[in-house]
Amino acid sequence: MSNLSLSTLYNQTSLRFIRTLIIWLPGAVVALLWLFPLYWMLNTSVKPDRLIMAGVDLFPTEITWEHYRTVVADTPVIRWFINSIVTSVCVVAGSLVLGSLTGFALARMHFPGRTVIFWLLISSLMIPPEMSIVPLFIGVLRLEVQDSFISLIIPPLASVFPVYLYRQFFLSFPRELEDAAAIDGCSRLGTFMRVALPLARPATLAGAILIFTSNWNSFLWPLLVAFKTEWKTLPVGMAFYTRLDIQGTSTQSGYGEAMAAVAIVALPTLIFFLILQRYFIEGVTQVGIKG
Amino acid sequence: MTHLADRAAPDGWLSRLSKIRYRGRRIDWQAYFFILPFALIFIVITLLPIFFGIYISFNEWGIVGDPEWVGLDNFREAMKDDWIPKVWGNTFQMAALVVPGTVIVALLMALWINREQWLSGPIRTAFFAPHVVAITVTAIIWIWIFEKETGLLNVALYGVGIPKQGWLTTSKWVIQSISLVTIWQAVGFHMVILLAGLKEIPAELGEAAVIDGASAWQAFWRITLPLLTPAMGLVITLEIISAFRIFGQVYLMTGGGPGGHSATIVSYIYHEGFVRFRLGFAAALSLLLFLTILLFTLLRARLVREHSN
Repeated sequence: MSNLSLSTLYNQTSLRFIRTLIIWLPGAVVALLWLFPLYWMLNTSVKPDRLIMAGVDLFPTEITWEHYRTVVADTPVIRWFINSIVTSVCVVAGSLVLGSLTGFALARMHFPGRTVIFWLLISSLMIPPEMSIVPLFIGVLRLEVQDSFISLIIPPLASVFPVYLYRQFFLSFPRELEDAAAIDGCSRLGTFMRVALPLARPATLAGAILIFTSNWNSFLWPLLVAFKTEWKTLPVGMAFYTRLDIQGTSTQSGYGEAMAAVAIVALPTLIFFLILQRYFIEGVTQVGIKG
Repeated sequence: MTHLADRAAPDGWLSRLSKIRYRGRRIDWQAYFFILPFALIFIVITLLPIFFGIYISFNEWGIVGDPEWVGLDNFREAMKDDWIPKVWGNTFQMAALVVPGTVIVALLMALWINREQWLSGPIRTAFFAPHVVAITVTAIIWIWIFEKETGLLNVALYGVGIPKQGWLTTSKWVIQSISLVTIWQAVGFHMVILLAGLKEIPAELGEAAVIDGASAWQAFWRITLPLLTPAMGLVITLEIISAFRIFGQVYLMTGGGPGGHSATIVSYIYHEGFVRFRLGFAAALSLLLFLTILLFTLLRARLVREHSN
């Protein structure tokens, strides 16, 4: 009797297990395939040239840091790294200040023009940035600010995303807290600084992460305004490694270096993402649903 | 009930100002100071350049010398230019692959992860990861994977008896290859938006329908998909915009080649404006790009409205 029920139980469990497997296996395989190119980058970047040319092996049998050393020796990677870091950090800081102030006003303050301004900002999202690229480029040349942090940092500050993010957040902010702050004698700015901003930490974190990533990865604008090598950002500088093999001539030598070069660009945002992915997802979700 | 900000202020011009009402409530004048810094940057970086760009498109504008008003010449030239139908055609072909490809894969993956089981976290991570790397990274990794002789793809296909292809070097495959790379990078982002949309739909709705005799397939078409319309609309709009703007992949992977078979609108704008410094012509092309995107997003909105009626 007990034997029978045990075997039924066993059968049910294994059946469930098999069903779960059938549902999850294809997805897991697709997910692995999706991740594979990034793995392949790391894999190739640590393989000696000899093994890269020998053919495909999924696990490197021999590990070398040679390619990374070559990249650091061949390119001003430190300088590009500094350019990228300084630009991204300044854009994040600036965007958060501008976005939180504007978002707070649009969500919590009563003034004529509020709706019009909000819709103006939202509809500007429909206009491709390419529309303003030629005029901005002319502006940069006229002001002679090409090859400088000014041209790298100021234009991205006009992004509407942080304003939108904070507005959505502050809309759900309880009125009572504001009133309590007003009773305590806080001005509007005081309420904003001491009450609203500390409570908006989730929005600030999500915003910081998404703005940082998008600026770190930004390509067309930094490509246009960096004339001199030392003013390139990391993604623009490393574009050098595309020259290797676009003509179909098969010279595999150099792919180790190319993969090491792009790994240097990719690892900061990838590590950042793995640690803070909750906030990445939250930020995207915020924009998605509440839009 | 009066709002606390409406408390009486001392007399004087300031207090008179603070008594002005707008829609029944006192105006928060400080709001304008909150908005001012961003407004200035937005006007200088976004708003004015748009109008300046339209003005430039009516000029012959080089990098040296004075601009010259040429009226509609840039647009007339764009109509005659041999490259225009080509780059527009390439871009449409890519959009026709990338928009449905991304949306369908993102939707399938979102539906599948939404079942909330043990692997959903890692799988979401796997799909989102390509979205956080720079286009340079994506492009160079895929140049290596697409490589003719020892690239991963050809080696794998050769293993199952398919001859090696020049994925980026033949006109036969180049658009598909670039579209594949674009989809690879974009899916994770859209999947997260759709997942958020799915989470808003109560699971009981689908279950109730299934109990009432609907198949899972019917439940999906009749209940899940209609309720997902807002999220789908957003995803499709964003994808249309970004598909028409494909540039980095092309610039880095093929330079528009072979023989212009992968040149897109934006890569042509880049070439005309910033390689040949024909800024007026480039501005005119940008305006045409904007109008194309506008047309398609309006068309999409209209289709959805008709569909839901």
